[in-house]
Amino acid sequence: MAISSLNELTDVLKQKARKFKIAVACGNDANTINALYEAADNGFATPVLIGDETKIQDIIKEQNLDGSLFNIIDEKDDLKALNLALKMVKNDEADVLMKGLIGTDKFLHAVLNKENGLMKPKAVMSYVCAVEVPKYHKLLFVTDTAVLPYPDLSQKIAMLKYSIAMAKQFGIEKPKVALIGASEKINNGFQNSNDYAVMCKMVERGQLPDCIIDGPLDIFLACDKESVAIKGVSTPVNGDADILLFPNLEACNSFYKGLMLFAGGELAGLIQGTEKPVVVMSRSESEKSKYYCVALACLMCLNK
Amino acid sequence: MFVMITKLDNLFGVLKSRPSKRLIGAYACDSHTLDAIYKAINLGIVEATIVGDTNLIEQTCKKDNLDMSKFTVVHEPVDVKAAAKAVDMINKGEGNLLMKGLLSTDKYMRAILNKENGLVPPKAVLSHVTVIENPNYHKLLVVGDVAIIPQPDFSQKVAIAKYLINTAKGLGIETPKLAVIAATEQVMEKMQACVDASILAKMGDRGQLGKVIIDGPLSFDLAVDKESVEIKGLKSPVAGDADCLLFPNIESGNVFYKTNTKFCGAELGAFVAGAKCPCVLSSRGDSVKTKLYSIALSALLAK
Repeated sequence: MAISSLNELTDVLKQKARKFKIAVACGNDANTINALYEAADNGFATPVLIGDETKIQDIIKEQNLDGSLFNIIDEKDDLKALNLALKMVKNDEADVLMKGLIGTDKFLHAVLNKENGLMKPKAVMSYVCAVEVPKYHKLLFVTDTAVLPYPDLSQKIAMLKYSIAMAKQFGIEKPKVALIGASEKINNGFQNSNDYAVMCKMVERGQLPDCIIDGPLDIFLACDKESVAIKGVSTPVNGDADILLFPNLEACNSFYKGLMLFAGGELAGLIQGTEKPVVVMSRSESEKSKYYCVALACLMCLNK
Repeated sequence: MFVMITKLDNLFGVLKSRPSKRLIGAYACDSHTLDAIYKAINLGIVEATIVGDTNLIEQTCKKDNLDMSKFTVVHEPVDVKAAAKAVDMINKGEGNLLMKGLLSTDKYMRAILNKENGLVPPKAVLSHVTVIENPNYHKLLVVGDVAIIPQPDFSQKVAIAKYLINTAKGLGIETPKLAVIAATEQVMEKMQACVDASILAKMGDRGQLGKVIIDGPLSFDLAVDKESVEIKGLKSPVAGDADCLLFPNIESGNVFYKTNTKFCGAELGAFVAGAKCPCVLSSRGDSVKTKLYSIALSALLAK
């Protein structure tokens, strides 16, 4: 059975009774500690906080948390803490890498480092979010919300592969992928619609992972059966998309933030292209979403 | 009434049952052209007006034993002027299709392409459409462009696709199957033929090219051979049963149709599409049959 909500995602992890070790670079951060605490308390994560131990202990006390759920490694220097966390993941001493109180730039720079980083060889770095909105009947996998500004065809193909892999990890055997545009019509002047046509044909020819794909489709045709019927468009996605692949960062970022802000959405998101899950959360995300991000990272470790 | 034309010979019968069309022969003073037009008239396919040198036409008719009363002659002894006059007559609605006679292709095309008095609407794409009857294929093949556009860009390919589809519909095929040809059915991002084919296929899906089923990229064998399709396990609504083949460039299309006629015993008819009326562009090397089929095809598609 496919996981159809973020709550179900955490239920699956609770049932697995496996604790994933999460190495946190610069863990002296209340946001991070709170998210990890819930995951540890629910029995699927063992956080290893690497950072200034005094500050970490203060936060744990302040937040009134059970300190025994955390392992702490004292390292006051940010870069050293980061490298230590990275090394633990690289040496299989931890399952997941997570960013704490350190600049995203510095953090990603280390992840992208060719020799000591965590990227798969030649992989494209991207970002996929599993979004839950009360008004949609299942989870929506949305990409790229955070990394690639104007993905070209090969980057779009990478985004497609990542989002399919994530959907499959949620138990969706043959995800329905909608390649999002402003209209379903092909306009040769729009590179995106050309890229989409190429991707659809590549899937048809078995050159890409198995999925049901169509695009360009607008959001209505991707997610609303009624619109499909009204417009009379024949599309195999048929208003039942699992995956939404956006043409650029602005569109995707606005889409998911709009859902969070105005539609009661929650999300779980993850950096893509890495050898092991890497969690980079935005501070403005809700407590719940932060917890779900940790849970998603753990889910992606299953069967690996 | 919709009659499906599955052999080129069927064109004649279908045309006889329809209101007759008038052919305007542009400087059609030579045996090659006049003989073909004369046969077409006798078959009841077209009526004809010949623009050219009356003396020359008379000589040719005497030599070939043709009855001049079967067609109208408009006297114009200068070839370029005759072409312009023929084009003018089409513009005035005095004829439905145009045919090249004893003048170079260059001069003929220039008359058609003339910006003020020609036959080509602004921004229209002129392209060559060929209908091939190959004894080894189970139906007619409508192919392009084998003669005019050397390296069609995407918008030209869209125009070619429209002409091929329109021709197939004229032949009575309600929903033609169009294969966009490339060297492989795999989508190779670096091969423009593959990329353009994918885009055309999606435009077909979206109904942007009317009632048609488009697939591509398809290699030629996959487009027309069911066995190859089965062996490869390809799923395609077009493969193995294409009505139309859109070639990525003139070399592939040209070699294809010439191979068909030289080695496979194929017959063909052809015309230039994109002008206000179908224009026959036969060369002296064409057989009388080819010329007749070309006239018939143009008459079929003429308004």
